[in-house]
Amino acid sequence: MGIVPSSVVLTSFQVMSRVFLIWAVTHSVKEVQSEDSVLLFVIAWTITEIIRYSFYTFSLLNHLPYLIKWARYTLFIVLYPMGVSGELLTIYAALPFVRQAGLYSISLPNKYNFSFDYHAFLILIMISYIPIFPQLYFHMIHQRRKILSHTEEHKKFE
Amino acid sequence: SKHPDPFHTLREVEILDAKIREKLCFLDKVEPHATIAEIKNLFTKTQGKSLKDEDVLQKLPVGTTATLYFRDLGAQISWVTVFLTEYAGPLFIYLLFYFRVPFIYGHKYDFTSSRHTVVHLACICHSFHYVKRLLETLFVHRFSHGTMPLRNIFKNCTYYWGFAAWMAYYINHPLYTPPTYGAQQVKLALAIFVICQLGNFSIHMALRDLRPAGSKTRKIPYPTKNPFTWLFLLVSCPNYTYEVGSWIGFAIMTQCLPVALFSLVGFTQMTIWAKGKHRSYLKEFRDYPPLRMPIIPFLL
Repeated sequence: MGIVPSSVVLTSFQVMSRVFLIWAVTHSVKEVQSEDSVLLFVIAWTITEIIRYSFYTFSLLNHLPYLIKWARYTLFIVLYPMGVSGELLTIYAALPFVRQAGLYSISLPNKYNFSFDYHAFLILIMISYIPIFPQLYFHMIHQRRKILSHTEEHKKFE
Repeated sequence: SKHPDPFHTLREVEILDAKIREKLCFLDKVEPHATIAEIKNLFTKTQGKSLKDEDVLQKLPVGTTATLYFRDLGAQISWVTVFLTEYAGPLFIYLLFYFRVPFIYGHKYDFTSSRHTVVHLACICHSFHYVKRLLETLFVHRFSHGTMPLRNIFKNCTYYWGFAAWMAYYINHPLYTPPTYGAQQVKLALAIFVICQLGNFSIHMALRDLRPAGSKTRKIPYPTKNPFTWLFLLVSCPNYTYEVGSWIGFAIMTQCLPVALFSLVGFTQMTIWAKGKHRSYLKEFRDYPPLRMPIIPFLL
């Protein structure tokens, strides 16, 4: 929408993956809600979002403390892998329950000649983290190098 | 003797990039009373759309020194090659499922045949559709562009081949369920399919006849004596309209959700193309028929 300079594609991706984790996994599979992995990704996301929205708010007000910018482009180094681990462990924990209950799955024969195996789908999702996570992670590392060194240069000229 | 009048001699204007100080454009024969807006216009005209092979140097809006900008489009592949590959795949893949070659369904089903008539009909329709497309690619279509980016063939083949396998898997499955309304539904859907295939072919022929062999001229398509082409009265791209219709027919005939999804995705893509084509018709021809919509009469 043009209010903040993030990529629409990357952000939609992140929003979709979070909505999926919350509703399609954690909410749908009650047995998984007491897992430590849920705590892990909730903490990671919460800290990330507090920093990120502070960053956007201060940027829009044209008064961005260096600490916030630093935090945004540094803490992800730990928070991101933390979040991903929590997400993957949660999905993995949900698998046996999904298989047992046949959750969100439909098998043949049926009158629309269609089938869907949610268990297999979740495994595919887990596999997709392998190509996607490094790309997003290294994109942030690259952004970090660009933005934090830029600030250094500006400081030199003051 | 005549004194040169400084207020009326044409000027030369050189435009440089502010950051890298490189010459971007050289305009000679600029009117001295031209505004900056007009100069900007002259500049953007020289930077705009790609030139065509047929363009003549003299007719281009450049000065006595023409600067041509080269843009590398990357690895290219011919349209014909892409079309043939992306259409041959589904034809072949569907048949693998139809004949139930080993390792697709359980071993007790290897090389067995479905007992439902509609499954045999579906194979004929699907195969006919792709054979028609292959023949049209070889003998009917006249392409404006020779090539497209190489990465397109991977993208397109994944789409066509993937969906073909997905559809074929269910239609030819031993546990396939025939349509709820039986033979009536199949007959109606088959009629829709056949009519739309004929329609689609008629449009392709009409479009071909618009453009003489080897030329790249563009004209407004109009209805001909063939009733199938009368859809031109209502839409710019009736070939897409008929194509969507064919797949809807096939979906109803097989009552298979993946086919419906394929139709939906195809419809979305063709609508985007039709809107683009419609827009460029409107831009190119002042007298373009106002009643026409891009793909769906009166609606879209």
